[in-house]
Amino acid sequence: MLKIEDLHVEVDGKTILKGITLDIAAGEVHAIMGPNGSGKSTLAYVLAGREGYEVTKGSVTYKGQNLLEMEPEIRAAEGVFLGFQYPVAIPGVSNIYFLKAALNAIRKHRGQDPLDAIDFMKLSKEKAGLVQLPDQLTKRSVNDGFSGGEKKRNEIYQMAMLEPSLAILDETDSGLDIDALKVVAEGVNALRGPERAMLVITHYQRLLDYIVPDVVHVLIDGRIVRTGDKNLAKQLERDGYSEVRDAIQP
Amino acid sequence: MTDSSPKTLIQSLPSSFEAGPEWLRLLRGRAADALRAGGLPTKKTEAWRFTPVRSVVEAVFSPAEGDALSVVSALPEGVTARSLREVLESEPGLLDGRLDFAGTPEHFAALNTALFTDGLWIDVPDGTAVDTPVEITHAIGRAGVSYPRVFVTAGESAELTLIETYQGETVGGLTNSVVELDVGRNAKVSHVRIHENAGMQVGRVDVRQAADSVYRSTVITLGGALLRLDVRSLLDGKGAECQLDGAYLVEGEDHVDHHTRVDHRAPHCRSNQTYRGIASGKGTAVFDGIVIVHRDAQKTEAHQENRNLLLSDTATIHTKPHLEIDADDVVCSHGATVGALDEDQLFYLRARGIPADLAHAMLTYAFLESIIDRVGHEPTRTRMREALIARIPHGDEIREVT
Repeated sequence: MLKIEDLHVEVDGKTILKGITLDIAAGEVHAIMGPNGSGKSTLAYVLAGREGYEVTKGSVTYKGQNLLEMEPEIRAAEGVFLGFQYPVAIPGVSNIYFLKAALNAIRKHRGQDPLDAIDFMKLSKEKAGLVQLPDQLTKRSVNDGFSGGEKKRNEIYQMAMLEPSLAILDETDSGLDIDALKVVAEGVNALRGPERAMLVITHYQRLLDYIVPDVVHVLIDGRIVRTGDKNLAKQLERDGYSEVRDAIQP
Repeated sequence: MTDSSPKTLIQSLPSSFEAGPEWLRLLRGRAADALRAGGLPTKKTEAWRFTPVRSVVEAVFSPAEGDALSVVSALPEGVTARSLREVLESEPGLLDGRLDFAGTPEHFAALNTALFTDGLWIDVPDGTAVDTPVEITHAIGRAGVSYPRVFVTAGESAELTLIETYQGETVGGLTNSVVELDVGRNAKVSHVRIHENAGMQVGRVDVRQAADSVYRSTVITLGGALLRLDVRSLLDGKGAECQLDGAYLVEGEDHVDHHTRVDHRAPHCRSNQTYRGIASGKGTAVFDGIVIVHRDAQKTEAHQENRNLLLSDTATIHTKPHLEIDADDVVCSHGATVGALDEDQLFYLRARGIPADLAHAMLTYAFLESIIDRVGHEPTRTRMREALIARIPHGDEIREVT
């Protein structure tokens, strides 16, 4: 589904990603672990199409198409979803109505009719229940006055509403206590399926106790230095990133 | 009267007025004197520095026939709305000493005092609380000058919501309005003003507030060849509170210019101003607000904020919130910002699938809608949102999702 080859990315003239190669098939959950500053969020933003990230080399192919040529909204319409590490508050834009506009824009792109208000509300109720997002939060302004946990649950609620093919979750665990983490992880797990790929970005192994990945990659200094199964995450937790770093840069 | 320039108009103002009660003749005479002495403002007049006042002054100064000032809503029980002309004829002493309570006006407001022929007096007696808003429409249908004049009196503990709309597609007309609101002790007045007309407008709103009164003003200006509005409140009694809000949107070659002035003359009063604007195209928007805290106005709390979005390189925004404080025990703040749409917010919306232009429109709408959201009366909010939606790209889609 997603094929990243030798991806090099610069931000403000500084090279952040130095040759990432990654292949994620439908149905798989990949985790990317790495210390702060290793380029994890840069990878997430490049895949979602944020401005200010210059691809200097390499390619990203998504469902056989050049992902890097698409506008962010086209990527979303084609099924790419980014769960933000720091979801921004948008006062004055209602969470639920913005999501309705988003869902219907995506449906239009896919040649589907817009959902009517009743079907939409039904769907919203169901998906909000998945992450225990209170009804009144769906109606408030986007992330405005939400707690850290509510923001992350809101991200997963939106993901559930939009039913992406490729979900990129950028440090969804950051700022969550263990109960909130479990709720969010359950929400994510409910969305796992043979048609859907996920890229879970995290600093800590903790999240991967609840969202068990098929493949774990270790990203250090803009390069994937190790790839393994879920046990690699456990090893990292035990030994720390410095061990891995020392192993590759003696 | 034939078409004339303001200069000849001012020269032709009589030194003594013949018609109406004596107090009104004096009032008009003083306004005429002020005009003869000071004339109309020019670019060198500080308070008019950013207003392209020439185009107002060069407007055809012939009266528009029949000032179309009308109450469009059914009058709620307890409220009276009478024609000023009728009141001045039938009870000539009734309004003696009550008009121009802020002092002898100058510039365009003086012209209104000298020349208004009719208007409305809206009165809510003591103790009368009215839920249903009173709505006045100024429909500007012709070229020429009109002088709408509205006088509102809210008695002790009275409550009123007044909605004024200024509509009309006539370019070349000039509306020179004066609205005075005398707000009694413990009274609450909400005043909404919607500017939707394409022509030129100069307006003055003067408010006088007795102790413990609350006045809330919300001004929505949706373009306009030239608009200059001054909203002034005198906090005259202890514990009075005023909230002056505004939202403006300029595009094309619009020029809109909002001035506010709050005079804290009594202690323990609060004032809060929040104006937000968006300028695109070659439009110009001006905000100039002043809070004056007089010597005896201890325990004043005054806040002033003006936030702007500048959406094109060719648009202009001038903002000048300022304070003059002569008391020592006060809490005051003021601030202004001019910026672009927030990139993080735009990207968030687009990353969810919302096309860039719709995302722009949604954020633009939300920025101004936050002012409308502060209006207490739901049907009025709806009406104001509709007016805004009509001016925003993708309005239909935004209506669909809000």
